Amino acid sequence: MSTIHVIQECGCETAQRFQRYKPLVPIREAEGIVYVSGHGPEDINTYEPLYRGRIGEELTPEEGYQAAAECAKTLLRAVQERYGSLDCIRQIVRALALVNCGRGFEEPEKVADGFSDICMAILQDRGRHVRTVMGTRNMPNHNIPVEVEMMFVLSDGYRDRVSCGDIML
Amino acid sequence: MGATEKRMEQLGITLQQTDWRGKGVLEAVFAGDMLYFSAHYPVDEKGKPVYVGRVGAEIDEETAYKAARLCGLNMLRTLQAYIGSLDRVDYFVKTLCLVNSAGDFCNMPSVMNGFSDLMVEVFGHRGQHARAAMGAYVLEGNMPVCVDAIVKVRR
Repeated sequence: MSTIHVIQECGCETAQRFQRYKPLVPIREAEGIVYVSGHGPEDINTYEPLYRGRIGEELTPEEGYQAAAECAKTLLRAVQERYGSLDCIRQIVRALALVNCGRGFEEPEKVADGFSDICMAILQDRGRHVRTVMGTRNMPNHNIPVEVEMMFVLSDGYRDRVSCGDIML
Repeated sequence: MGATEKRMEQLGITLQQTDWRGKGVLEAVFAGDMLYFSAHYPVDEKGKPVYVGRVGAEIDEETAYKAARLCGLNMLRTLQAYIGSLDRVDYFVKTLCLVNSAGDFCNMPSVMNGFSDLMVEVFGHRGQHARAAMGAYVLEGNMPVCVDAIVKVRR
């Protein structure tokens, strides 16, 4: 069963976002390692944030968790769109999560768990990663609550399937 | 669904679903020869924070230096657990150091030297690394510093 079917069964379907701002690409591949740009919890087509504000002020920690889960879905959707299937992920390696924290909120790692849990639900063992979580105070796109970037190891069958040249959209 | 799963379905055998929540984050992950580390914090063996507070407010620079050194010691412990002998460390590649900074505090580099000095003491030239140190608004458990790293390991 390919990973996409797991996504559909989990009800975790994702959709591509990322506007075509030319200097920025959602995905870069180097030597079998794939780097994915930071993604926030945003509507793919309109770029409209699904969540907005700081956790501990405008948003609750639970909403922050859900926002981080949306980040995982948009990241994985970007990967899926590029490689055709999430089977291309041999192992997620690292994630950097930025969490927009209000005054007195000291648990950014619990927000980032929303990202990690979705990765695990979809990819299971292959979703395990190392993580750095940073609480910050100002975020792009009307102050989104979370942004996550990640890198992963590409499965062998997917290496060099797409040449580097074609990602300049 | 595979043939075996279909057969199990016919037999009415269902397996419990594993709950993967909270199990996604590891202390370190290999990608080829590179060992990537999660952010390491100034905690004791049981994971309890040893230093709590923001640098420039509750924690002064000197204490934060010690906290950064403790992050490094914890990382060495993880490193040893993953690769056995520390002799297998080829060299440190890169670190990202976050300092939980209050107000106008902007002396992150001298705080994070607590980590970097340790690595050079232990590994000599092999412990030298590229580094980015930045101020964060909040860190887990309101701890003053955290450090992640990428280390190249010999096979």
